[in-house]
Formats: sequence, structure tokens, C-alpha cells
Amino acid sequence: MNAQLRQTVQRGGQTSLRGAIEIVDVVKSYDQGGASVQAVDHCSLSIPAGEICMIVGPSGCGKTTLLNAIAGFHGIDGGAITLDGRTLCGQGRPKAEIGADRIVVFQNGALFPWKTNLDNVAFGPIVQKRLTKAEAYEKARELMAEAGLSGHERAYPGELSSGLQRRVEIVRALMNDPAVLLLDEPYRALDALTKSVMHEALLETYYRTGVTIFFITHDLEEAIFLGHRVVAMTSRPCRPKRIFEIDIPHPRSYDALTSTRFRELAAEISACVDEEAIKSFALGEREG
Amino acid sequence: MSDIAANAPATGRSNSIWARRLIPDLATRRALIAITAALLVWQVGATSGSWLGTPLPIIGAAPAPDAVLTAWTKLLGDPGYWQSWVSSLLRVTLGFIAATAIGAPFGLALSSWSIFRGLAFPVFELLRPIPPLAWVPASIIFWPTQELSIAFVIFLGGFYTIVLNILGGADALDPRLIQSARSMGASRWTIFRRLILPGVLPSLGVGMETAIGVTWEVVVAAEMISGGSSGASASSGGGLGFFIWNSYVGGAYPNIVVGMISIGFAGYFSSALARWAMGRATPWLKRT
Amino acid sequence: MPQAAPSNALTLLDAKALVAAALPFGGLTEATQTALAESFEQAHYASGETIYAAGALSDDLFIVARGAVRLQRKDVALESETIVSRGSAFGWTALAEGAARRNRAIAIGATVLLRLRGAKLVDLAANDPGPGRISCDDVIAAIRAIQQPPPARKTAKTATPWRLQLKLFQAGEWLRSPKPYLMLLGYAALFGFWHLAVEVLRLPRFAEMPGPSDVFREWISDNPIYGVSLHTSVYYHHILISLRRVALAFIFATALGVPTGLLLGWSKTFRDYVFPLFEMLRPIPILAWVPLSIIMLPGSELPVLFLTFLASFFATALNTMLGVKSIDPSLALAAQCLGASRWQVFRHVIAPGALPFIFTGLQISIGVSWFSLVAAEMVSGQFGLGYLINTSYTMVQYPTIVIAMITLGAVGAVTSVAVRLAGSWLMDWRGRHLATSGAR
Repeated sequence: MNAQLRQTVQRGGQTSLRGAIEIVDVVKSYDQGGASVQAVDHCSLSIPAGEICMIVGPSGCGKTTLLNAIAGFHGIDGGAITLDGRTLCGQGRPKAEIGADRIVVFQNGALFPWKTNLDNVAFGPIVQKRLTKAEAYEKARELMAEAGLSGHERAYPGELSSGLQRRVEIVRALMNDPAVLLLDEPYRALDALTKSVMHEALLETYYRTGVTIFFITHDLEEAIFLGHRVVAMTSRPCRPKRIFEIDIPHPRSYDALTSTRFRELAAEISACVDEEAIKSFALGEREG
Repeated sequence: MSDIAANAPATGRSNSIWARRLIPDLATRRALIAITAALLVWQVGATSGSWLGTPLPIIGAAPAPDAVLTAWTKLLGDPGYWQSWVSSLLRVTLGFIAATAIGAPFGLALSSWSIFRGLAFPVFELLRPIPPLAWVPASIIFWPTQELSIAFVIFLGGFYTIVLNILGGADALDPRLIQSARSMGASRWTIFRRLILPGVLPSLGVGMETAIGVTWEVVVAAEMISGGSSGASASSGGGLGFFIWNSYVGGAYPNIVVGMISIGFAGYFSSALARWAMGRATPWLKRT
Repeated sequence: MPQAAPSNALTLLDAKALVAAALPFGGLTEATQTALAESFEQAHYASGETIYAAGALSDDLFIVARGAVRLQRKDVALESETIVSRGSAFGWTALAEGAARRNRAIAIGATVLLRLRGAKLVDLAANDPGPGRISCDDVIAAIRAIQQPPPARKTAKTATPWRLQLKLFQAGEWLRSPKPYLMLLGYAALFGFWHLAVEVLRLPRFAEMPGPSDVFREWISDNPIYGVSLHTSVYYHHILISLRRVALAFIFATALGVPTGLLLGWSKTFRDYVFPLFEMLRPIPILAWVPLSIIMLPGSELPVLFLTFLASFFATALNTMLGVKSIDPSLALAAQCLGASRWQVFRHVIAPGALPFIFTGLQISIGVSWFSLVAAEMVSGQFGLGYLINTSYTMVQYPTIVIAMITLGAVGAVTSVAVRLAGSWLMDWRGRHLATSGAR
């Protein structure tokens, strides 16, 4: 296991045991306008519990398909995916059950616009009937305060900036104590300055909770800054092309961005991904 | 891990295998089941007088589907029936063209000149809540001929819808497009012809189906009302609305249903035609 | 009890930055600021722990480094609650010797505070060698300047609702623009033209039409020639009958149409079976149903109600369905991720999400209801404004026609506005969003 990972995951002396994902030989194709498109072809990947695993690759290569399969939004045609040893989908069960142990944070945000931020954050435990309304609101207020979001409880998501919205969404996910956070380019639409703040906030959250993070992104700097490992995917159908260990020590701060090691990694990964990007471009990929 | 078992077919399952092979599409199969069921209920209910002894309430008084079919086959050879088609279609087409010819410039003028808008729009909004049919008596008093008075009411029906749609579309035009055209030295006329007109076409297309629907409503209504009160003869082109009313007055109940279905077809057909024409006029809009 | 600081303590740099930002003593020398930062202690509090209670002796000033603190105040005159977060300073009464705490401070979440004896702070600030040196009195004055009275808890009854304020502002803007005057000018032109054409110039086409003065005189007359005016009860009878019919039909159509539309949008099974039938019946104009409804439905009232209902139903159901389809699919997926069952997704995501379209549909539907009602009343049924128009025509009572037309327009407009207002009241979240995003 990655030395950095082992260090950061210590929580009260115990290593986190939750959130280990095994993707084994997964195959998935789907129908597009009558033709069959192979999105994922015999893809295998092992993600230990508590790791921040960054997935990069050219547009439309199938990364989101993989995330959707883990989340249970659609099924797979072959192979299997397990979580902490338990089969999510595989033989006999093509589609995983959508559950609160793997929560997705969406690209364009999925806060319910008609509920206040507090209602949004408290939503999970209330609908699962794990907490009473009062308890859920109390916990929601706490978590929001911890994340520096107090004062926005009674506002609606539409009144917040996109950056704040994403943070609320992550708090909403964490309310349910998930084993895995599945992030599909959540910061894609944000400007560079807001992104930096988001990264710091995410890392801070991670240090506190130790949740496994499966993060899809196009932004290589984001990938290197946040991740324990960066997995560079091939163009469609996707499969891990090369896996990079990010040996920059945690906890990380922004001066990591200018370190030599960071620049070296950026150059290496960039070369690897660019190769695939050119291939995709030649195939005329549309935005995934 | 070995491959999982074959997926359940994407089309889902239905009762019989031969049906699945004959019509592979699930949606079509279900539609046919629903329509057949509805026809059966109708047939059984309408003939309940004869096989039950007393007719069922409401449905028992309806003309039966088989009677309707018989009546229709007879009418197919009757020139008067086809004449009604022509009369109604003619009225709808002329009414719609008139409404567009006057409504589109009016809407564009409202959008382009704020003074005109300040003067005319309140008056427009004042008169709009008065339903077009309420104008029938006033229209008959004013216009010299029956035909003209009907035409006026038909015109009114489509006019309001078209003006609102054009106004909405013109207001939504990106002013930067116009600015960039002006900075390239385009004259006012050129801007109007090449920028505003095409820019407004899509919103006209969107409202077209509604406008045609409203026009049909008014046509049928006007034909029924004028036919009912002043007794225009069928051979002078009373139209399908008049045909229905006449059938009712004459006691030929199955013909009523024939008329209704005919209008339904005619309406659907004219909407499809309009949509096709719009599609040709606006090739840059992606058709899904 | 505050716990011992764990390994991830704040750096001195961090503390200095917090102090500089939180206190009004920016003019102090570098040395004093550092000394201040060093004097602050860190204290950690668990969630829900009381930092100090109201009435206790104040000795420490606090600055929030992480987390948040709830300050509750409950006394005879005032009840308030404030939440302060990172960067805020609280507990200012510590600077006045012998003062008692006004608020009760409770930690929200795991909180880290910087803490300093009030007396020590005053001491350091007062002994600053630089020009920023301040006396004890200055400090207290500065405190008073920062500490505004806690905001009185605004109830919806006392504070002006934001929407009303917005409306007042917009009204003011409108009155200052040329719009209202052009509008009056437009109306004047309309009525002027009507008056000229009919009563003054007596143009040939307009010969038999009633002019505005005829209509108006008839309308306000105590003893109208044709028996219908503001003063006659039969006028209101007609209005009420029409209103009642529209209301009944509209309510029924909404009660049936919204669930139908929701199901059509939400359930593929339902849509596959029902939508084809729906789309086959929809193109048939409402009035084409008149003879059939007279034959099939008993009485003279039911056909009218049915026709009005039908038009309304199609419009509502269709728009509701479009509303469901317009909902971002990731919202439903997100709800499922958070553990919602199918029914909960429907209740919390689909139904509220479709509301904007539903209300657009309702506005269309009320307009369509009036349209169908008038048509139906003109052809069958008794009483009502449409019926009035028809009979006035056949009985050559022309001014009454115009009275009825105008009344129809007015009542129709009022009902449309009522539906629209109901919509914007129910969708508060949309209004606020649109207001803050600067949409017109």
C-alpha cells in the first residue's frame, strides 16, 4: 500500500477498512443510434480503502461509464465489481444496487433547487429513516459548520455560487457516512481560483473522514494535487494504460504545486494522456 | 471471474413469443394492446343496450365502432364528405396564413420599436383575454358576408398565439449577434432580413403546433355555430364542423364520430406538414 | 472541559493572521501583533460543549479558528441567536473588568478557538510603543463600535417581505418610465377609434354596431334597456354561473391532469399504454365533442362542464409530462444514491421539479377553459356569459353583447393572474433565484 496513503488514513490509530473497490475484467457496451459502442473493454483496477484515486483520460473514453457501473446507474456486460469484498455487480447480477455507501457528486451539481441547503444536506438520513428530523438537522448544521458553510442553511442552492454548491453537495454525501465518494468531474465548470479553494476543502474533508475517493477529471494538475494515485485511461474502450504513484507527502498544501516532483509527474502523465487524446480526436469523439 | 449470464433482453418481456417476433418493439406492442382494449370497451359499452337489455350510462348512448366503420366506408364515396374536408382545410390554411402575415410583422414591430410596444401591447393584452368565439356575433354584425365574419374569428384565434411567440423569440435574440453584424457594416434592412427573420423562425416553429391547434378549434367551432344558427347548406362548403353538427341534427350519430376522427386526422396532418415546412426553413436546428 | 491540543495545532503564522483579521487593532506595531498572537492559547471544544454560560464572569476573549459557535441570548427584552465562524471574535465583555457574559456560547461541531485573557489584551495594546498605541478607553470605545445590538429576530410579520419590496421597487420604476403613459395613450386610441367610427363618423361598416358611449351608458344604468347592467342581479348571475363552471372544470382537470401527466413522464409502462390513446384524442377539437357529449351525458349542464374539463385536462397533462421530462436526470439519481425509494424520489424530486412546467400548463389550461366554456355555452346550456352573448345577438340587443365580451375578458384575466400568483407563491425558491440572478 502507498506509504502516503497509510499515513493519512490513520484515524485514532486505526486504518480505514472501508471502501476498497475491486474492478475485475469489466466489459460494457451500449446502443447508440442502432450501433453498438464498446465503452469499457476488460478493464481491471484495484482501489484500496481510503485512497484518493484519480482517473484521467480523453473525453468519451468510458470513464463515466465505469463510475456509473460502480454507482449502479447501469449494468455491466461482463466481469465484476466488488466493494470491501462484497459483490456489487457481476455474475448473476448485472446491475449494482444504488446505495448510500457509494455516493456520486455530479458534474453540474445535483442539489435539489427547491429545498434549502439544510434540507438538502439532511435529506439522506431522513429518507433512509436512520435519524429523526431533529437529529438530522442538528447533524447537518454541525457538518456544515465544520465545512465552513454555516450561515447558508436557510438559503436555496440557486442563491449560492457554484463552488459553494459543490461543497454543500459533498457535505450532503458525507452525512451518510459513505464508504466511497464517486466524483465525476465535479469542479469542471468552476474557475481556477474557486477550484483551488475546492481542492483544499476536499483534502481537509478527506483528512477528517478518510473516505475512499474515486475522482474523474480532465485537469492533470488537479489529479496530481489531490490523488494518491493517478490512473491514465486509454481512449475508448477504456482500460488503465498506466498508473502513476504520487509520492508527494500528505497533508499537501499549495506549495506542492510548484515542487519539482510535481512538475516531473505532470510532464510524465501529460505525455501519456496526450497520446490517447490524439487517438480520440482522430476518432472524432464527442464530449462524453 | 467468468462472464455473467446473458442480460434480460432490453425490450423487456411480453406475454406471447409470437407477438414479440411479429412486433419487436415493446412500446408499439403496448400501444396496440391499449388501443385494442379501448376499442373493445367502446364496442361492448356502446352495444350494451342490445345484449344487456338496458344501455349502460354514458357509454351506452354512444354510437358503436362497427356502426362508425360502416358509416365511414359509405362516406368515402360521398363527394359532399370530401368537400367538407376541403372547406375546412382551406379555412384553416387561409386563417393561419392571414394570422401569420399580420401577426408576424406586428410581433416584430412590437419587439423592435419600444414606443410602438408601449402603445400597442397594452391594447393587445387588453383584448386577448376575450375568447375569439365571443367575437362571433360582433363579427357577423360588422362584416358583410358570412364567410368573412368566420374568417375574422379564425384569424383572431391564431393571431394572438403567433404574436406572442414571435415577440418571445425576438426578445430572446442575442443582441451581440446584431451588434457584431452592425460592426461589420450591415445595413438595417440586411440585419432584418438575414439576422432577425431567421432568428425568429424557430420560435414561430415552436408555437406553430399550438397556433394550428387553436385555428382548428376556432374553425370547427365557427362552422358549427354558424351552421347551427343560420343553416348554411352542406354543399356550399360548410366544412367538417358543420358536417358534424348536421349529422347530429339529422340523427346520423355514427357520422358524428366519423367527423370527429376526420378532424383529428386533418389536424394531425396539418401539424405534421407545418412541422416539415419549418424543418426545411430552419436547417440549422438539430432535429432529435 | 476543553481538551489538550492534538498534533494538528495551528501555526503561529495562522494565529497571527486570525488575530490581525479579527481585531480592530491593525495599527499596532509588528512586535505587539506577534506578542498578541503568541499570547493567545488554543482551546478545543467538542460538538455541543458550552464554552461559557450567560451571567458568568467574563475573562477571556475568543477568536474562532475552526468550526463555529452559537451565541444565544435570552433575556427579558430580547431573544436572539447568532452563529459565528472562522475569523470572528466574540466575548468582548472580557475587556471590561468585572462584566458578566450576556450570551451563552456553544460549540457547533468540533471547534478550535483562540483564547486570551481580556486584561492581557488591553495591557498589550495599551503598551504598544508605536503611534497605534491606544488607551483602555479607546479599546472599550472600539468594542462598542464593533458590537452593534444583536439583530432583533425578524418575524415575517414585522419585516417587509422581500417580494413586496421588489414589487414596490418595480412599481416605482414603471411609473417613472414612459410606459404607463403610452399605455393610456394606446387605450385612448382604441376607444377613440371605436367612438369615432361608430358614433361620430358613422362609417358604413360600423352602422349597426354599438358605440362605446351606448355600451357604457347601458352598463352603468339603473334601468337598462336590455335588462343587463351593473345594477341588475341577472348580470352577476351570468358571471357566477360561468365562473362556477370554469372553477369546477379547472379543478377537476387539474386533479386528474397533474397525476396523469406525472405518471406519463415518470413511468415508461404507463406512458407506453396511455400516451398513444392520449395523443389520438388530443387533436380532436373540443367543440367537435359537443354533439357526442349532448347525446351521451344527461342534462344540459354536464356537457358544458365536460367540454371545459376536456380542454383543460389535455393542456395540464401534457405540460405536466413535459415538466417531468425537463427535470435533470441526475437529480433523481442523486436522490437514489442518498437512499430514497422510488416513491420518495417521486415525492421529493419529480413532483417539485415539475412544478414550474405544471404552472405554465395551468396558465394555459385556464385560458383554454374559458375558450371552451364560451364555445360550449354558445351552443348548449343555459345562462353564463357565452350564452348571454349568443342570446343578445339573436334578440338584437347589441350593447349587451359588448358588455358580455368585456366582462368575459376581465374575468378571464383575473383568473389567469390568480393562477400565476398561486404559482409564484408556491415556487418561492424560483423567485429568489431569478431575483438574485438579475432576470427581469
